[in-house]
Amino acid sequence: MPKELLSKTTTEVAKMIENKEVSPVELTQSLLDHSHGLNDQVNAYISFREDAALAEAKVAEDEISQGNYRGPLHGIPLAIKDNIYVGGEVTTMASKIHGDFVSKDDSSVVKKLREAGVVLTGKLNMHEYAWGIDNNSPHFGPVANPWNPDKVPGGSSGGSGAAVAADMSFTTLGTDTAGSIRIPSAACGLVGLKPTHGRVAKYGCFPLAWSLDHIGPMSKSVADAAATLQAISGHDPRDPTSVDVAVSDYSATLDSDPKGLKIGVEEDYFFRDVDSPIEDAVRKQIDQLVDQGATLKTVKIPSLRHSEWAELATSLSEASAIHHTDLQNRPEDFGADIRFLFELGELFSSVEYLQAQQIRRQIKQEFTAALQEVDVIIAPTLPVMAPDIGSPVAQLNGQDVDLIDAFIRYTGPSNLTGLPALTVPVGLTDGLPIGLQIIGRAFDEAGVLTVGAQIERTNPMEGRRASIGA
Amino acid sequence: MSISVKDILTDKGVHPSEEHLEKIEAKWAEIRQLKGNLENANLDDADIALRNIPGGDHVA
Repeated sequence: MPKELLSKTTTEVAKMIENKEVSPVELTQSLLDHSHGLNDQVNAYISFREDAALAEAKVAEDEISQGNYRGPLHGIPLAIKDNIYVGGEVTTMASKIHGDFVSKDDSSVVKKLREAGVVLTGKLNMHEYAWGIDNNSPHFGPVANPWNPDKVPGGSSGGSGAAVAADMSFTTLGTDTAGSIRIPSAACGLVGLKPTHGRVAKYGCFPLAWSLDHIGPMSKSVADAAATLQAISGHDPRDPTSVDVAVSDYSATLDSDPKGLKIGVEEDYFFRDVDSPIEDAVRKQIDQLVDQGATLKTVKIPSLRHSEWAELATSLSEASAIHHTDLQNRPEDFGADIRFLFELGELFSSVEYLQAQQIRRQIKQEFTAALQEVDVIIAPTLPVMAPDIGSPVAQLNGQDVDLIDAFIRYTGPSNLTGLPALTVPVGLTDGLPIGLQIIGRAFDEAGVLTVGAQIERTNPMEGRRASIGA
Repeated sequence: MSISVKDILTDKGVHPSEEHLEKIEAKWAEIRQLKGNLENANLDDADIALRNIPGGDHVA
């Protein structure tokens, strides 16, 4: 099977599978061979499901040959982040402590992916317990960015980002508590969607911070993200935060043009302290949408000035509560970086945690008001580019800035509000991708995907792909 | 009386290394500074969305 097939998008290869031009078994074997060949360099996979994947591919192939095609993920080989449970198999959370953990059940999203007919090829590397943004794992090794292997892929879903960028998975899932879908998607040149909180059920996903956690797609194209979201959306009462709302057809409006679209820009927070090439690329895309008939309006969200503290107080407190006992009893089994964060999270008082929730509600109310004036708010996804592996800082217009603070600054607000936020690639600087973020109304994933598709059609990446895997 | 970072952590059964303790104290000072401007946020009567749902997680 030609390797070029692996560089196709999910929706492109799905048509070939549906038309019986491509065998899921051969496609899976080809993807596994390609992934094994690259994994020493990229380190995206923690474990492979070689035999199970080929068996699942054979089932898919037989079903399709008998005329029982299920839809665009049927027979598609993909891997998922290793904090999402596959029943009866090890899920490590990229940790030492859970290195042998076997879940009884499939997670809600794996159950839905199986119903869609996917082929699960393995589990993907991640920042330990999803509590970090550079994916430099002390237990499973660092993940390399396929655009430049000296650079971080972002995190915590760094293995997911690297795998899709290097054609080691057609599409995948990430988890996002302060930006962990959007950060690696932006750093690896992918489309990444953090859905509305409650849209995708989290049963069977190891928590980082209950009230901020989300699961969503990381894909090669907007259409792929829409198809992946379609498969995993929906209510599951086993997740206390799951919301029982209707699931839209996320692909239905992707072809619409931007005429009449109302774009909001918030200048005081989202365009303050951003690296110049990133700002230029994002504003250029906004201008292109306006040229095609969209209108632009400045919106004000004053409480955003408190969002970094509220995000830290909430995420650090919730994560430290989850790991409190292990922090007391076996702290040396955590990587040094996340042990530091868990220790830090022990310092917040209950009053401070609740003040953070008060701030959070104010931010929600202000976003809701702004999104009554406009359809979406557009911002950079990251204010800085991906630094070298091992660097604690990034460069912002020539100055060193703290990497964690910078990477989560523009993504964190949508975890506090729970609003859907999509990143799409909009160009390169120094050979690395730039991400643009589209924030939408609650449960309007179709809206942000549609704007993402409008941007994608302007071809801002000009067909350029990551050097590793191509 | 001010309670040190070390005292708070010790009280919770958490014992960072000396090296970690210095980093924690420095980062905690940054976080306190970040919080400083909350005085302008007018939080005294701001409601929050913690919900107590009788009967289960999803009962209306």
